[in-house]
Amino acid sequence: MSSDVAARASLAVSLAFHIVFAALGIGLPLMFCIAEGIGLRKRDATWYVLARRWSRAAGILFVVGAVSGTALSFEFGLLWSRFMGFASGVVGLMFTFEGVAFFVEAIFLGLYLYGWDRLSPRVHWLSSIPVVISGALASQFIVAVNAWMNTPTGFQVVNGTATNIDPFAAMFNPAAPAQALHMLIAAYQVTGFAVAAVYAVGMLRGRNDKYHQRGVLLGMILATVMIPAQAIVGSWIGEMIARQQPEKLAAIEGLFQTTAGAPLALFGWVDTSTQQVYFAITIPKLLSLLSFNNPDATVTGLDNFPQATWPGLAVVPIAHLAFDIMATLGGLFLLVPLVFWLFYFRRRRTVPTTRWLMWTLVVCGPLVFVALEAGWIAAELGRQPWIIYNIMRTSDGATTNGGVAVFFFVFLAIYIALAVATIGLLRRLAREQKTFVTSEKPPGSIE
Amino acid sequence: MSQSTLATLSALIVWVALIAYAVSGGADFGGGIWDLLARGPTARRERVAIAQAMGPVWESNNIWLIFVLVVTWTAFPIVYAGVSTALFIPITLAVIGIVLRGAAFSFRSNYGLEVGAGLAWGRVFNTASAVTPFLFGTMAGALVSGGIRFTGQPPEAQANPWTTWTTPFALSCGLFALGLCSVLSATYLAVDATNNGDQALVESFRRRAMIAGAVTAVVGAIAAALASVQAPVLWHGLIGRALPLSLAAVILGLATAAALLRNWLRVARVLVIVMAVCILAAWGVGQWPYLIVPDVTIDNAASPASVLGPMLIVVLIGLVLLLPALWYLLRIFKARPRARTPQTTVAAFVSTLEPTEETD
Repeated sequence: MSSDVAARASLAVSLAFHIVFAALGIGLPLMFCIAEGIGLRKRDATWYVLARRWSRAAGILFVVGAVSGTALSFEFGLLWSRFMGFASGVVGLMFTFEGVAFFVEAIFLGLYLYGWDRLSPRVHWLSSIPVVISGALASQFIVAVNAWMNTPTGFQVVNGTATNIDPFAAMFNPAAPAQALHMLIAAYQVTGFAVAAVYAVGMLRGRNDKYHQRGVLLGMILATVMIPAQAIVGSWIGEMIARQQPEKLAAIEGLFQTTAGAPLALFGWVDTSTQQVYFAITIPKLLSLLSFNNPDATVTGLDNFPQATWPGLAVVPIAHLAFDIMATLGGLFLLVPLVFWLFYFRRRRTVPTTRWLMWTLVVCGPLVFVALEAGWIAAELGRQPWIIYNIMRTSDGATTNGGVAVFFFVFLAIYIALAVATIGLLRRLAREQKTFVTSEKPPGSIE
Repeated sequence: MSQSTLATLSALIVWVALIAYAVSGGADFGGGIWDLLARGPTARRERVAIAQAMGPVWESNNIWLIFVLVVTWTAFPIVYAGVSTALFIPITLAVIGIVLRGAAFSFRSNYGLEVGAGLAWGRVFNTASAVTPFLFGTMAGALVSGGIRFTGQPPEAQANPWTTWTTPFALSCGLFALGLCSVLSATYLAVDATNNGDQALVESFRRRAMIAGAVTAVVGAIAAALASVQAPVLWHGLIGRALPLSLAAVILGLATAAALLRNWLRVARVLVIVMAVCILAAWGVGQWPYLIVPDVTIDNAASPASVLGPMLIVVLIGLVLLLPALWYLLRIFKARPRARTPQTTVAAFVSTLEPTEETD
């Protein structure tokens, strides 16, 4: 493996791993904040049991997210030293903001997770609020960095170095608001569906009690609230890419010729050598409509760009499929909650036990992570061959060190081990008695 | 403010965060080292005490490291990029250590200290806790030894990937870091044991703090002697500009030992922290104005003022938000019990509520 391929593979593995924990680390605090808030107000133990269990799950997930995030902040230098040498001054302000937000999150999470025996009910609940806010903010700054790689602003290149740096202009780059909100909403959707799926499994096993009903209910509420938000932000991103990165849009959609009233090719295999999309479902004029809100608008095709800057033979079809998987699943995640509420209200406000509906929720659990990963893959591959769009090629950003291949395999092994252990622990947690246990003496734990 | 002032302030922030990481996160590594060395009838209680001491705070302590990295790459991009290239091997090993230490600590707490998987993760936790600070120490030694050179425009780092961080001086720095972590940790743990009223543990950790302190002092003296040969820039700084700090560190070390001997544990905790601050401050002043000896200085590595200014403002605002929160966290989990117990805890409150339906 050459250094830059190994560097890509290593960071891909690290981020694919980290994004799952980061998304749940953003979403679960909102869940336990709401559950404990209701429990405190209504003096209801069931909500407290839910909050307590989500906090334990969040504790396990947050640790893995935090250590993999710490590893990432070293990996940027280890794997992408030339990118960091060029860019870190420009994007540093965003990372600084993120660092502060993450610090606040860690402090209050420490209070929350370990404070069940130390804090008053009110203070304990209040300590969850900074966790929710700072977790959400941290994601905004970190995604803004990724957005900057798509639409770099706030500097000029003189003799190969970034000069005249305006870190605020870099932070508010054109892609930042839409991309960052898209990620935040996705994190809440992921959490909502994942939590609902866990409790739907319990319902399918006949545990139709308040505890399981409320788990499904709160998960679905979160997923539902995010429907309009994600629909709006999703179309905002489409338009933004069409304007800012027409090449990325053309590659993701497999559009080779610049076309007025461009059709949308759903799924299929994009072949850059023959410039065809095989086995696709073609919907007339939809791409123009989605990109410019006008069915007859002209969408720029890959023919407008030199082949040397196309994302590459292997990358385009994967980016296309990944994008379509995300978009299709995204559509499913908008529909499923609506069906759920239809059943909920027809059954006079009780959580439905209809088996196929519960099974749908269970299946949505893993699918929501597929969508998360697919969206991220489409975004990253679509930007290729650039690490900073139109400024620096990915191969020029990688370290010149040898030994990156070893790095890749070592970290792959570590992350697999951590994933296995995390899943094992979460399954163990799910099997435990659903009673209120406090942090200092959880069963099976130390003492 | 001038470019040079901003660069100096940025370096100061990096150093302050590094010191904060050393006295907080360093003690967490020290906890792992004592977990590794736990023997005898109190071993199990020691491990539990260490886990309880680390649990609520180690994650926020760990963020100081991220803070150091982020401010470094923002303010001194070539330092971050160059060090990552030159010290690729020890940094990679340290990252593995950081990932495994943190994850294994959490896994062990959740699996249970003495159950199969918990035992295995416990070994990962305590081994990684010992290896990681050692590697950090060797890297610190490498930065002042002159083995990392920068050439070209934009400057790129050149260094021997193996020998730069394995000189006798760098290795002695690694051992010194290990020693410092274990002294800090044993002292903190002795105070925690006092708070929890476990006299046997107080004795055990107090004794360990004294032994570790003596060993660390010897290692420190060897490291200083080696510095005079292998890191002359640092050495001349330590006995020149930084002499007051160097002497203060020695005196505070002796005072810590005296306080531990007299059983003034809370005093010892304050003294050992101030001692660690003095050691690291002496090191920083000693290598001033170099960030990496001999090619990289604060001034020639700094980002432009347009980057440093906003970053410093964000950092200062951030610290204003962070420090009270951090103080509150420490008060809740580290202060004397009577200073922290509320009238009703959440756990007590929930037990008064209608019992929930039991399901399995």
